[in-house]
Amino acid sequence: MSLIMIRSVVRPEKADDVMAALMDAGFPAATKLAVAGRGKQRGIKIGEVTYDEIPKVQIMTVVSELDKDYVIKTIVDAARTGGKGNFGDGKIFVSPVDEMYTISSGVKETDLSSIGEARP
Amino acid sequence: MKEVVAIVRMNKMNQTKKALTDAGIAAFFAHEAWGRGKGLVNSIVAAGAAQGYQEAAEVLGSKGKLFAKRMITVVVPDDKVSGVVDAIMSVNKTGQAGDGKIFVLPLYDSVRVRTGETGNCAIE
Repeated sequence: MSLIMIRSVVRPEKADDVMAALMDAGFPAATKLAVAGRGKQRGIKIGEVTYDEIPKVQIMTVVSELDKDYVIKTIVDAARTGGKGNFGDGKIFVSPVDEMYTISSGVKETDLSSIGEARP
Repeated sequence: MKEVVAIVRMNKMNQTKKALTDAGIAAFFAHEAWGRGKGLVNSIVAAGAAQGYQEAAEVLGSKGKLFAKRMITVVVPDDKVSGVVDAIMSVNKTGQAGDGKIFVLPLYDSVRVRTGETGNCAIE
């Protein structure tokens, strides 16, 4: 069973919703970072001014590969605005993790229950 | 080439920097981050505590809150990964919950902007 890092870039006002949805889904462990960036719409143009460093929040969470689809669905459902979604709702990036260590115990984790598992 | 992402306590940063330097790795990124660990709580209780309800705050205790952390990213060749992990582990280990996690991720390539070098020589 392998580990997967899910980095999702979401609207700052949706970050709390995503964190709460992850908690309810049984994945409490997460790290939140403030970031700024632009997407394929090249930022927002208001009049003559283009804003292309739009504030976003990056939420990083590491889960088991088996739970990947469930966690991604949880994040997408929580981060989407309106019914069909809008430009600027964000992106989710998934990458493999080779190793994970818990500093307090000093052990290399192989049992993934320490980072949460999907609630049936 | 590997990317080592470590989430550590803020007050351990100076010691971590020194330990990394002693281990022969001078270059790293640091980000401000907020995080929480494996404590599961009910999100309704958490929302109540955030609104200032005393009962909810008592039930919640210190669980479910976001704590200020530092996220360190170090990019190293494969053979130095264990050295970095040991260096970070040695100074950050207090034995209590909240010490943080270390993740090792594969990385495809890196480029030194100044010279255009790629691969391992860009990070050595």
